[in-house]
Formats: sequence, structure tokens, C-alpha cells
Amino acid sequence: MILVVGGSYQGKTEFARSNFVNAKFFNQTHLFIRKRLEEGRSQSEILEELLEATKDGNWVLIADEIGNGVVPIDSFERKYRDIAGRILIEIASRSTEVYRVVLGIGQRIK
Amino acid sequence: MITLIYGGSSSGKSAFAEQYTYDLPEKNKYYLATMASLDQESRERISRHRAQRCDRNFITLEYATGVDRALPKVEEDSCILLECMSNLVANEMFSEGEIKPADTCVHEIIKQVQNLSNGVAHLIIVSNNIFEDGAIYDEATKEYMRALGEINEKVAAISDAVYEVVVGIPIKVKETEHENS
Repeated sequence: MILVVGGSYQGKTEFARSNFVNAKFFNQTHLFIRKRLEEGRSQSEILEELLEATKDGNWVLIADEIGNGVVPIDSFERKYRDIAGRILIEIASRSTEVYRVVLGIGQRIK
Repeated sequence: MITLIYGGSSSGKSAFAEQYTYDLPEKNKYYLATMASLDQESRERISRHRAQRCDRNFITLEYATGVDRALPKVEEDSCILLECMSNLVANEMFSEGEIKPADTCVHEIIKQVQNLSNGVAHLIIVSNNIFEDGAIYDEATKEYMRALGEINEKVAAISDAVYEVVVGIPIKVKETEHENS
């Protein structure tokens, strides 16, 4: 499993598609997490579903870094930020490679 | 010696900071907590952090403001993990009824950091990246962001090492020959 993270509109998808040609892509992982949270799923359930969905083949997960802002006033927004962050830490620890994309440039951080 | 550990919310910076401090040679390790346990969410966060470091023999000290008041309680050859700067700035700025100006907060907090750093072998500071959501905020929030941003820069300038943590992975963004020497 490979993880590609970065701010929004940084060219993460382009970077992933041009560098991992034969991979399968799970894009917008943060939005998947958000949707499942809205449906009332827990952190561990969402992580399990992500791992199950990507267990066969070479998967590249792509996600926005959403934690680099002011603490939101809305409690769901805070929960989303925290749980997305923690799930991505879990994904990163299970990934063989992790890239952070800034300005379309991917830096390998693992 | 100062090490700054920086990252977004739930980026894994606390876990890294605790491991980093745990691995330091200094025998006495203090955890200087700045979060006041006012609401349920803060209490949950505090208990998660406590569980993270439960088997690591940290001695916890709690100061919501004026963190250099901890100095009489610690030995010169110890290390202190200050967690975290964003709470300390909020406590200093908003806890006395009216908003304390950013410049005053910056001046006072940098002084506290220098005092702490001079009193122990190694000071590790955790701070937050709150600057990249692109949203427009009210004046009080902007004042807070100005203060935290300036403090982060000033602390980074006097730090021997600076790490940014991304999805649990530390990226070294500043290093000097002093670190771990």
C-alpha cells in the first residue's frame, strides 16, 4: 500500500498517476472517511473497511491533509479532522511508501 | 537545548514527541501539560495522552499559564516536554477576561521558553500548524494566529532541531550539530 498526502489542489492525483502507473487508486480518502462518519461509523470500522477494500493488488491511497487549520467550532468538524488524522496515521504505518505532495512535487517521507 | 515538534491536528506529533523525549538520555522526564480540563472533549484528549505515556515514567506538571513556574520543581539535568504551545497561547491570551495583545503574549511566552530552556538540559516543545485552511477569521482569532505564528517562528529560530510530523512521520526541517550531542 502506498499513501499520498498533501493539501488540497497540490497535484496529488497527477503525481500518483504518473508515478504509479499500474496501481489501483483510492482517491479522496478523506471524503470517504467523512461520509462514513456522517453515517455513524467508528474510527476502527472505517479503518477496517479501508483495509478490506484495498487488500488485493497494488493500491495507492490519496488523501488531503485536513488538520492544518484553526480548531473548528462545530463538533462534527473537529471529530472529522481528528479521526481522519488518526486513520491516516494507521494507513501510513501500514504503507510501504508515503509521499507528501506540495506544488505537484512529491517528497518521499517513508 | 530546544527541540520543536510541529504538526497539524491529529498528525501524530504528540506520540512522536513522547517517544522522542522517552529516548533522550536524561533520566528525569517531565511532562508539562497546558490543557485545562474544562469540557468532556478536553478530558478525553487528556486521558488519551495520559494513556499514550502511562508506561514511560513521565512526571506530569500542570500549568495553564506561566509555564516557567515549573522550574523550582525540576532538576537541572532533566528534560521537559511542553505540550502544547497552542493551548498555552490561548490560555495566556484569553483567560483574563479581556484579550491580551499578541505582542505581549509573544514577549511573555518567549521569555517563559527561554527561562525553561536555561533551567533544564533539554526542552521539547509541541506546537500546532493552524495556518493552512485558508479561511477568514474574526479579529480575536487572527490575533491568536498572529501570536502563535510568531511564537512558532521565534521558537524555531532558537531550537537546535525542528521536526514537522505528517501522518505520524517526523520530517526533520532544521538540524544543528548540537542535537543529541
